[in-house]
Amino acid sequence: MEDEKNEPNEEPTTDNSEDVDEFDDEEISRDLVVPGETLTEDTKTFLPGRGTIFNKDRTKIISLNIGLKQVKRNYINVIPLRGFYTPRPGDKVIALVTDKNPVKYICDINAKDRGILKPKNTVARGKPRGYRGGAPDRQDNSTEKYKIGDILIVKVLSADRLNKPELTTVGKYLGKRRDGLVITIDPPKIPRVIGRSGSMIKMLKDLTKSNIFVTQNGRIWLKGENLAHERLLIDAIRKIEKEAHTVGLTDRMSEYIENEKKIRGMN
Amino acid sequence: MPLIIKDEYPEKLFREDGKRLDGRDKNELRPIKMEVGVLENADGSAYLEWGNNKIYCAVYGPREVHPHHLAKPDRGILRVFYRMATFSVFERKRPAPGRREKEVSMVITDCLKPVLFLELYPGTSFEVFINVLDADGGTRCACVTVAALALADAGIPMRSLVTAVAIGKIDGELITDLSGIEDKAGEADLPCAMTWFNEELSLLQFDGKMDLDEFNESLGLAKEAISKIYEIQLNALKKKYIEIQEEYSGGEK
Repeated sequence: MEDEKNEPNEEPTTDNSEDVDEFDDEEISRDLVVPGETLTEDTKTFLPGRGTIFNKDRTKIISLNIGLKQVKRNYINVIPLRGFYTPRPGDKVIALVTDKNPVKYICDINAKDRGILKPKNTVARGKPRGYRGGAPDRQDNSTEKYKIGDILIVKVLSADRLNKPELTTVGKYLGKRRDGLVITIDPPKIPRVIGRSGSMIKMLKDLTKSNIFVTQNGRIWLKGENLAHERLLIDAIRKIEKEAHTVGLTDRMSEYIENEKKIRGMN
Repeated sequence: MPLIIKDEYPEKLFREDGKRLDGRDKNELRPIKMEVGVLENADGSAYLEWGNNKIYCAVYGPREVHPHHLAKPDRGILRVFYRMATFSVFERKRPAPGRREKEVSMVITDCLKPVLFLELYPGTSFEVFINVLDADGGTRCACVTVAALALADAGIPMRSLVTAVAIGKIDGELITDLSGIEDKAGEADLPCAMTWFNEELSLLQFDGKMDLDEFNESLGLAKEAISKIYEIQLNALKKKYIEIQEEYSGGEK
């Protein structure tokens, strides 16, 4: 039985601005570093931040990832260019239902563990269930709401190293998607697709007249006016992914889209 | 009519002009070419041409362990699959993994383990698939080098890259980077790998005869050669990104 109550009926927007300043244009130097490369030998002034570590004698700060070196106050960070998604509580991600049994759905969320969606987390709580004392709605006890292969937008409820992440579909913009396309890019490049305080995504939406929902696990849901717009948008996102480590990306992308529109004869 | 090849090696492994059979000086490396991101569906990948060695490496992970009983509840596991193609050597190699391949896989696993943070990924596995398409001596060193590149390309946090080279002894003299024939006909063979985190040795194997002074000298030679290979490794990793950076910022970084 389908329940339309919890389906997202509003226009989806991006709601993940926490990671935006990671790829801040001005503060990141364009210094490319690789694992094991010495970032500084001045260990008195600087401390290792994200993606960095002291060596054994605490004489050097060393990078752990391939990425861009960033100095923030007295912390040295490395913003990775490659990597995988690690679920964190509160993240909104796009999940694919890969399996289900009578007590739970198992979802692929592009992380090392598959996420678990329990039926009680698919219906909103606190609402009176049943109709005038009639039979209670048993939907929160069965896994009949979603089918294997469904695309869901879910929120991560709990995630740690040891246990499988638990998901929920109750909340704003969450639920099953019936239309649109989902593409996957490298998860570390997601902040770049969003841009500083959402500037890039706003530009993409305006220029291609599309709806986009960018999630932290590297998956992007999109739906355009027509196929040509969707194609242009996908090309643009692929270009952002490829050039994520360069400066002045937002301006260049708007130029690119305007150009491509002329070439492809779109208005 | 089957072709019969006898295992015959030349008596002298140095030419009359004092160079080695392939025209190299004593401490000269073979030409090395490295590339990362060559396989699209792998999480990280690398390709290496080291003299006549041609090696592909693919890395996947962290991901669920199959078979499940191999998973460790307190740490992740690293699995290395070193395989040689049937056409990689002169006489057809049987495709089933043999004793040597299992040993080399184990050696590479132990060599790469110290640079990874396996304790951060309990219950998962990192898998490194190494395929030797063409073999001509020193494949285990080449495999360590290319596996470290592929791991870095996959974005797996690492303490440092790992670089390896083999030092050998032929006709009583120490040489760097043995080729296939020097490996088989030479007197000693000393593959060693180094991590750059604290500049420590991560792999040291030894086969043959060598006195202690020569052994110490070989370690010095190895370090010298490894520094050269490390430079190539760094450039290979950065090249992909720097090219794009330069394209869009008018030549400057």
